[in-house]
This record gives sequence, C-alpha cells and structure tokens, in this order.
Amino acid sequence: MFKELDPILHSQLRLAVMSLLIGVKEAEFTYIREKTNSTAGNLSVQVQKLKEVGYIDVVKQFKDNYPQTTCKVTPKGIEAFEAYVKALQQYLQAGQQQS
Amino acid sequence: MENGTELSPEESLKVIQTMINKTKDSVADDSFYFLLWGWLVFSCCITQYVLKIYFEYPHHSAVWFLMPVGGVVSWLYGAKQSGKQKVKSFVNESLEYLWMALAISFIVLVFINIGSGTWQTAFTYYILLYAIGTFVSGCLIRFRPLIYGGLINFVLAAVSVRFSFDNQLLVGALAILISYIIPGHLLRVRYQKHKK
Repeated sequence: MFKELDPILHSQLRLAVMSLLIGVKEAEFTYIREKTNSTAGNLSVQVQKLKEVGYIDVVKQFKDNYPQTTCKVTPKGIEAFEAYVKALQQYLQAGQQQS
Repeated sequence: MENGTELSPEESLKVIQTMINKTKDSVADDSFYFLLWGWLVFSCCITQYVLKIYFEYPHHSAVWFLMPVGGVVSWLYGAKQSGKQKVKSFVNESLEYLWMALAISFIVLVFINIGSGTWQTAFTYYILLYAIGTFVSGCLIRFRPLIYGGLINFVLAAVSVRFSFDNQLLVGALAILISYIIPGHLLRVRYQKHKK
C-alpha cells in the first residue's frame, strides 16, 4: 500500500525550499530566492503556505535598517520531509520492480 | 522555478538532490582567521626568540600583548561578516562553538601558566590546542591541508617537551606555519577558485 505524497511538499518550489532548509540551520529569504531561481512574489506565497502548516518558522526583523526575513525548518517540517522522502522511495522502488 | 507543474517521483528526487547540492557548495571564506592568527602568532614566536636570544632583551615576552589586538580584529571581522551572511549552516555553527571553546582554553592556559609560573610546557599545550582546532575544522569543512596540519601538530606537541623554552618558540612557529599559515593560504585559493 502506497503512502500518499504530502500535497504541501509535492510541489516543485515548496519542495525546493524545504530541501534547501533541511541542510542548513537557517537561511535568508533572498538566499532562498537566489538558489531556487524563483520570483519574490511566488516564493513569498509558498513560504507562507509552509509556515501555515508549521513546516518552517519565518522571522521578520530589521538588520542595519533593512528588512530581513529568515526561514528555518521546524521539527514538524523535518518529520514531514522524512515521511515524504520515504514515500518517494516506495514509489521509486515500485517503479524499478515494474520495469 | 515554477510551482504549478505536477511532479513525478523522479523529478521530486531531482529537486531534492539539486537543492541539497546547492547548499553543500556554499563554501565560506574561513581563511581570514587562520591567516590573521597564523601570521600573528608566528611573528610573535620569532620576534620573542630574536629579542631573547640575540638582543637579550629582558621584556621579550611583551610581544604577546599583541594577542588582544588579534582578538579585537577577529571580533570586528566576525561582526561584519555575520551581517553579510545569508545562510547559516550547521558546520558554520559547530566551527563557531569549537573556536570559541578553544579561544577560552588559550586564555585559561595563560592564567594557569602565570599562576604556576611554569612556562616550560606552555607551548606543548598551545600546540595541542592548535592541533585540535585545525584537525576538527579540517574534518568539518573537508579540507585535507588542515587535517594534515592538525595531525602533524599532535606529533609536534609530543616532541616539544624535549626542547628548552627558547627552542620551543621555534617549534611553536613551525607548528603554526604548518597548521594555520599554509592551510590558510590554500583555503583562500580554494575559495577564490570556487567563487569563479
């Protein structure tokens, strides 16, 4: 029985954001935008969705008089990411067995 | 990167791999601290040796008052860099704590040596601390010159007790050359190549 892939993570940009944040302690919004080659508007919407489900923490503050947004993956986000990768492995293994 | 496209499991895996590789590639320029402290300690060792042996200057150990200057420069540089830093990795954080603990150890060791009045083994322990710092840093950032420098320093620490204090200054200079200065310059070259 296949586990259903988490619809929040099963989207290109949100998955990219989570994959990036999973390997670091925290990253600035501008860094994520640069690495994912996304637009600020689109990224902002996807970051908000990840925040709403509790997968990431978003901290907005001022640094040297400039607004700074920092994102960090939460324990719930790590758990969801691990479950997503596990489900993905099942799909890939099933695909290999069929071919 | 778009968001609406439906992903196949293979595509999902590719996205994960690509993003993880992108963060793995973000090499920071850590060479500044190695070069600053390397040249500073190296200069102090050689200057003290020359002042003591060739000039018989009684206040030869005064050269070490340059260490707090290094501390201030490091702190200012660190504060400036943290403003520029857009991403904080677990490796960066581990390195920060490691060197913070080592900096405290260096200061504590100075007080122990002043308190006990025994400077004969001072360099042995300093070299041991250089070895720990460079070996662990080298392993964390996967940079072999630092790992080798650290390993050689473990040997130099053991050997240094056989030398007189005067000659230990030269052993100390050699240790810092091998573990900080040479790897520091190579690290800078690696960073500049990576930037291109």
